[in-house]
Amino acid sequence: MDLENQQRVKDLTDKYSPENVIVLLGAAEAESSGLAAETVTAGDPTFAGPLAGVQLGLRVYHVVEPQFKDEVNAEVYDDQIGMMEMVLDVDGIIEEMSAIRSEHCKYND
Amino acid sequence: MSKKRVVHYINQFFAGIGGEEKADIKPEVREGVVGPGMAINTALKEEAEIVATVICGDSYFNENVEVAQKEILDMIKQYKPDLFIAGPAFNAGRYGVACGTITKAVQDELGIPVVTGMYIENPGADMFKKSVYIVETGNSAATMRAAVPAMVNLALKLLKGEEVGSPEEDKYISRGIRKNYFAEERGSKRAVDMLIKKLKGEDFVTEYPMPDFDRVEPNPAVKDLSKAKIALVTSGGIVPKGNPDRVESSSASKYGKYDIANFQELTEADHETAHGGYDPVYANEDPDRVLPVDVLRDLEKEGAIGELHRYFYTTVGNGTSVASSKAFASEFAKELIADGVEAVILTST
Amino acid sequence: MVKEVERAGIPVVHICTVVPISLTVGANRIVPAIAIPYPLGNPALDKKDEKTLRRKIVEKSLQALTTEVEGQTVFED
Repeated sequence: MDLENQQRVKDLTDKYSPENVIVLLGAAEAESSGLAAETVTAGDPTFAGPLAGVQLGLRVYHVVEPQFKDEVNAEVYDDQIGMMEMVLDVDGIIEEMSAIRSEHCKYND
Repeated sequence: MSKKRVVHYINQFFAGIGGEEKADIKPEVREGVVGPGMAINTALKEEAEIVATVICGDSYFNENVEVAQKEILDMIKQYKPDLFIAGPAFNAGRYGVACGTITKAVQDELGIPVVTGMYIENPGADMFKKSVYIVETGNSAATMRAAVPAMVNLALKLLKGEEVGSPEEDKYISRGIRKNYFAEERGSKRAVDMLIKKLKGEDFVTEYPMPDFDRVEPNPAVKDLSKAKIALVTSGGIVPKGNPDRVESSSASKYGKYDIANFQELTEADHETAHGGYDPVYANEDPDRVLPVDVLRDLEKEGAIGELHRYFYTTVGNGTSVASSKAFASEFAKELIADGVEAVILTST
Repeated sequence: MVKEVERAGIPVVHICTVVPISLTVGANRIVPAIAIPYPLGNPALDKKDEKTLRRKIVEKSLQALTTEVEGQTVFED
C-alpha cells in the first residue's frame, strides 16, 4: 500500500478509533490484496511507510468477498464491479484475505 | 553482558523521507531504528541491537561517491559498532550500489563484520559479491519478510565468529571463494558417476559452474563521422507525449521505436519520460536532457556527422530484467543494421 | 542493451552517470554523464549554457566512437 494511503488509514484510525474503521480493497490480484491487508492489520511488511511496525489490526475486506458483496445492492454491484469480477481470481483473493484476517485482525466478527 | 552494537544503512525511501524527489538528500544519522531496522532489530533479539541508522539519498550517494562514503563512514565510526548492516536493496539499482559500496568501505576501514542484501540482478551484486557477503533477496520489498531473517542469520554468524556455510545454506550470493574439503568418494568416482548420469540424460549437479563472463569485443571505431549515420538509443524511457505504447515505468516488457525525422529537438510538448526510477521532472521539462536530439541535429547541419537516424529506440531501465533488455536490443540491432546505422549513442540515467 | 548492439557489430558509446555499473555490465566505450535525473543537462544552468554542456558530452561521445579501443575505456575530461 502506498505511503499516502498508509498515512490516511493511520490518521483515520487515530481519529475514529480502530474498532470503528473498516478498510475496503479493490486490488487486482490476490498478492497485492494480501500485502495491503497485511499493512492495515499487522503493519507494513516492506517497512517503507508510516504503518511500518504499526499493528492496527483493522477489519479489511476485498470488494469481491461475500462479506461485502452480500451487503450491497446487487444491481449497483453488478454495474460497478461485475465486469472486473469476471477476470479476477476471486477464490484466490478470498483465500488470501481470510488468511490475513484470521492471523492479524483484532476484531473477528 | 551488554548487547552488541549495530549500525544500519538505508535510503531515503525506506526512511520514509520520500521517493525519487528526495533521492538527492545528503547523509544523516538517527539514533535507534528507522523503517526496516525495526524488523532487523526484532530478529536480532538479545544478541545485538541497532544503535543508529544512517540514511542517504540514492542519487546523492551515486553522484558523489567519495564524499558521501567519507561522510557516512565518519557517522558510523561515532557509534563504535560491532556489526554493520545495509539495506536490503532488492532490485533498486542505485540503492544496491550504495549498499555494496558502503558495506565494503566499512569492512575495509573498521574491520567489523558486515552484511547487505539485494536481488541477484541488482548491479550492486555483481560489483560487490566478491568483496562482501550479500544475502540474496527477492526483487521487491514485498519479500522483506524473507530477506530480514536471512540477513540477520548470516550477520549473527559473522558477529559470533561462527563458520559460514555454503551460499545455498546461508543464502548469500556466491563469492567465488574456494574452500577445500574432504569428500567421501574420490574424485574419479564422482566424475564417472556424473558422466553416467549425463549419458543417461539424468539430472546432475556440476561441482564447478563455469563463470559467465559474457564480454563483447569492442567494434572498430567509425572511420568518417561526417558520412556516418548515428542512431540514438536510451534506457531513460523517453517516449512521445502520452506514452502511446504504454511502455511500463518499471520492469518494462517492451521497447519503443519512434520517428524523430520531423524533430529538431525534443520538448515538453511532444515527449516525456515513462521511467519510474528517477525524478522525471527534468526529463519531462526537456527530454533532450536524456536523448540529445537538439545537439545531434546541430551537428548534422554542421556536417560533423552524416545523419541522425530517423528512429530512436527506447525502453525503461528501471528493474527491467537483463534477459528482457538483451532480447530488445538483439531485435532492434538487426533493424539498425538493415537501416545502415554505423554507430549508436546509448544514454542511461 | 549496450552489449547486444556491440555484438551485432555496431560500435556503441554508453553515456551514463554510474560508470561502475556500465563497467560491470561490459560497455566498451563509456562517457560519464552529469546526473541521474539529467544525464545530458543541468537545470541549474541557463538554456544556452546547458546546451553547450550537452554538446560537450555528445562531442566526447562522438570522439569515443572514432577512437579505437582495446578493452573497456572511460572517456573522462
